[in-house]
Amino acid sequence: MKKNKKTSGIQRRYLKYTAALLGLALLLSSVGVIISVRNRLTRSIIDKYEFMTERMGLTLENMYRKSDETTAECILYDDVQQSLKNQGLEEVRYIALSKYFAYIDLDHVAAYCYVDNKGNVYSRSYSDVSYKDIEESGFEKYLGEEYSKTKWFWAEDTLFGTGEEALFIGRYVRSLEYAHGPGMLFFKMEPGFLQEIAGISQELVDEAAVGIIDGDGQICLSSAPENFEEGEGVPDGMAEQIAEKQDTGMIYAGERVKSGVVSAYRDADSGLTVFSFVPDRVLNQGLIPIFLVFAGIYLVVIAVAVVLSIYFSRRFTKPIQTIKDAMTEFDGNNFERTIELHTNTELDEIGRSYNEMLGNIRRLLDEIKDQERELRTTELNMLISQINPHFLYNTLDTIYMLARINGEETTMRMIQALSRYLRLSLSKGSEIVTVEDELENVKSYMEIQQIRNQDLFSYKIDCQVDAADTYVLKLILQPLVENTVKYGFQDIFEGGRIEIAVWKKDGDLYLSVANNGTSIAPDMMEKINGMNDMPVGELKNCFPDKKHGYGVVNILTRLRLKYGDRAAFYCRAEEEGTTCTIKIPGGSGQEQHEQ
Amino acid sequence: MNNKRKKYSYENRRAKYQGHRHKSRRLQAAAAALLLAVTAAGCSEKNVQTPDGEEEVSIPVVLIVDSSTGIRNEETLIQEFNRIYDGKWQADVEWIMETEEEYRQNLKRQNVTDTLPAVITDLRMLPAFYYMMIQDGRIEELSDYIYTDEEWKSMIEPSVLESCSEGDGSIYLGPISTAAFSCSGMFWNEELFARAGIESFPETWEEFWKCCEQLESCGITPLALHTEGTAWAPMLIATAEAASSEEGAEFMEEFYPETYQNESGLRIARTLQRLFSYTTEDALYADFDVSYENFFSGRAAMIPNGYWMMDQIPEEWQDKVRFSAFPENKMISSPETFGWAIVSGYSEEVKEGAAALLKLRTRLNMEQREELFAKDPEEMIPAERDYIAAYKNGPQLVPNYQVKWNSILQEETLGEILPELARGKMNPEEFTAKEDESIQKFLEEQ
Repeated sequence: MKKNKKTSGIQRRYLKYTAALLGLALLLSSVGVIISVRNRLTRSIIDKYEFMTERMGLTLENMYRKSDETTAECILYDDVQQSLKNQGLEEVRYIALSKYFAYIDLDHVAAYCYVDNKGNVYSRSYSDVSYKDIEESGFEKYLGEEYSKTKWFWAEDTLFGTGEEALFIGRYVRSLEYAHGPGMLFFKMEPGFLQEIAGISQELVDEAAVGIIDGDGQICLSSAPENFEEGEGVPDGMAEQIAEKQDTGMIYAGERVKSGVVSAYRDADSGLTVFSFVPDRVLNQGLIPIFLVFAGIYLVVIAVAVVLSIYFSRRFTKPIQTIKDAMTEFDGNNFERTIELHTNTELDEIGRSYNEMLGNIRRLLDEIKDQERELRTTELNMLISQINPHFLYNTLDTIYMLARINGEETTMRMIQALSRYLRLSLSKGSEIVTVEDELENVKSYMEIQQIRNQDLFSYKIDCQVDAADTYVLKLILQPLVENTVKYGFQDIFEGGRIEIAVWKKDGDLYLSVANNGTSIAPDMMEKINGMNDMPVGELKNCFPDKKHGYGVVNILTRLRLKYGDRAAFYCRAEEEGTTCTIKIPGGSGQEQHEQ
Repeated sequence: MNNKRKKYSYENRRAKYQGHRHKSRRLQAAAAALLLAVTAAGCSEKNVQTPDGEEEVSIPVVLIVDSSTGIRNEETLIQEFNRIYDGKWQADVEWIMETEEEYRQNLKRQNVTDTLPAVITDLRMLPAFYYMMIQDGRIEELSDYIYTDEEWKSMIEPSVLESCSEGDGSIYLGPISTAAFSCSGMFWNEELFARAGIESFPETWEEFWKCCEQLESCGITPLALHTEGTAWAPMLIATAEAASSEEGAEFMEEFYPETYQNESGLRIARTLQRLFSYTTEDALYADFDVSYENFFSGRAAMIPNGYWMMDQIPEEWQDKVRFSAFPENKMISSPETFGWAIVSGYSEEVKEGAAALLKLRTRLNMEQREELFAKDPEEMIPAERDYIAAYKNGPQLVPNYQVKWNSILQEETLGEILPELARGKMNPEEFTAKEDESIQKFLEEQ
């Protein structure tokens, strides 16, 4: 169990590389995102303040327009027009007109004053303003050279006598019909009038320093949040710098200045400029929550990536682990433990191949065991047969002496042939013998058979190789001669001929035994030739009745075991008789003998 | 026929309403609202960057959409100007549906609120206001533009140039019109005349009155008149009749007459009283639009007006409406009333563009006059054919009272005293006395 829990090498590497890739990706993306997002967010935040400043500017324009409309209404008012005529106004209408201006559609009017072209002053009853006061106030100069343009100006209140600085709205009042001199209309506005402009963007006021300045750079309104620290206020000289700008509209669109960003909007008609200054601290404050969100997102991404990496690495490496476990735990005996994979990947192929390999190993092992078993039996037999070779030779010598004493020539030849045959077969115990010995052995066998079957056959040996220096597996020709005598000459009693040939071709050694007897049956020939393509282990099953084919199976089995699958044995039915040929790959030499 | 209407649409704005007073505050409030719209739309300089990198200068103009036809006055001129001067100047027009009188009253409001467009029309119809504008330096003196531009000068008819020039030779009204289009006479219903057994328009004032009698005796109302809007229709007939005498003709040449309590003034008053005895019952306290409806519905046989009404004749009426000079070959004409002015206070680029607009207007007017005179009479409607014949017949041109008489009389007094005179509650002497009171009032304000 402990071993199973241990992370596999592949999984570990997978996780390591995944973690490295993920880390690199996150690092690069975070750097890119931070740079990009910071720039964009900063721009976005600046745009927000710029927009709010512009909104204040537009409010300023609207308020100017409103004041223009209201003063236009005043100018067009019947009594005002009548006041400009030479006849002037009656007392009652004079009083009414003095009150009229208190009810105009303009908020935050602190005081008003209208003077007609005859020097009559119309103001609140408690407002003690005379024509002389108006003349001495010097306010007429603020009305400019335009015919009848509404003027906003920031000035010390020398008209109503308070001495405080305030915003005034003034305008020439002209006659509709006649070329009379103009009257003048002045409104002194309360501070709340301009504060209304700032109030339109409360968020801006809460976070930034805002103000309104006139064309001369005089500050008409200024405010900064209480939490502003020292040094976060409007930089020195900013008002003058703004006033120097000649353009109108958005004259500063979120432009960077020392320690912050400034936006300013100038209304062409009123000549006033609304501005805002946002210190860096406020800008950065806006970034922090966004970066926190980003950090949170990254953490979630990392966590999800880790979990998914582990999950997928396990999923991918589990089959490999299964294969590895099966392979490492295979003890050479348990062939039942196969691998069952269904991953729809190449791993399934590996599993199937492993299972096939396991089957092949099992089959081969069975074959080896069988062969070993046979080998042991053969060796045992060999040992048994070698127990008393001397006894056998001594006995044969004794029989030979008795036959000689008795003058039995045939018996003597047969004993000599048998003795040579047995010596080769039994002596030395080696599997490999020279072609010379093999030919001597088969010659002895044929002589014995000639004695046994008088006049049945003659033989001829054609050896085209160096018989003393060419080696072959022993006792491979004798079974062929035996088959020739047994089956080839079964239908004749004399005139048989056996031709044995040995030659080399293309580096391979060939040995053939041909006879002129009865040809081999086609089905038997086909069966024997087909054995060359069969596995060695199955050769023994070719002749299950054990009565036939023992010699052929023996030869081919030994050849294949000794020389490999290229060794071959095949028969060919001739017009008269049969030729059986043995092919030994690579020829045969001393080296093979030593082996 | 529609093409014909459009072709002469540049004169439409003279249309039906030649005078209209507005006293009600409600209307003033509406006008003030309109004024504000104009303030925002037409009276600020808006320059647009052209592809060449040069700024296209915007020329603010306010023009009228005819409320009866829906036709934009001077649209052809504006399109041609913007096409010719594309990339250099752009006439930025605010089209407003209002009457001529409303337009003129708005000029005064725009002036006092400093929101006048760069080009204004109809200024000469308000004599006091016109001179106030000159005195206050509110309109440009144009002689430099005209005399330094030979091409422009060559297009201007001498009589028109003279009428647009002040005594000292200065020119504040662009002489863009042609005298041929500025004359007024009488439109008459040939069918109703035939029904009364009258075959042609009377040639003498005696015949005119007989004609009225004959029409009335046949159950046909002779005249379509009104009392509001400076009493344009009856005043045309009365002043033409007064000019029949040498004294009367001289009286009509007088600028700001010192008194109406003279023979000519009384003659006009008597004529007015007599005229209203031949008109419809709804003429009192009504404006020109009522008269127009009465004439083009067959309820009245005659209506006085100028050439500009040609393309306002409904299609089904074109074959039965005829035109004649007033009896004794009189036509009312003051070409300066068609003059356009350029407002000071704008940049030189804008004023230069405005002058180019006036010049183009002069050229188009000249081309249209030549085209009209070269046209086959058979292609014209009967009234147009009659007008050409009457104009070529060398009529005695009587100045338009609107450019001569004080504004208080025109805009306030006439509307009050004319119904009284018509109903016989006031005699001609009292009428002229009231007219003189207006002179006094006017002088007091000068």
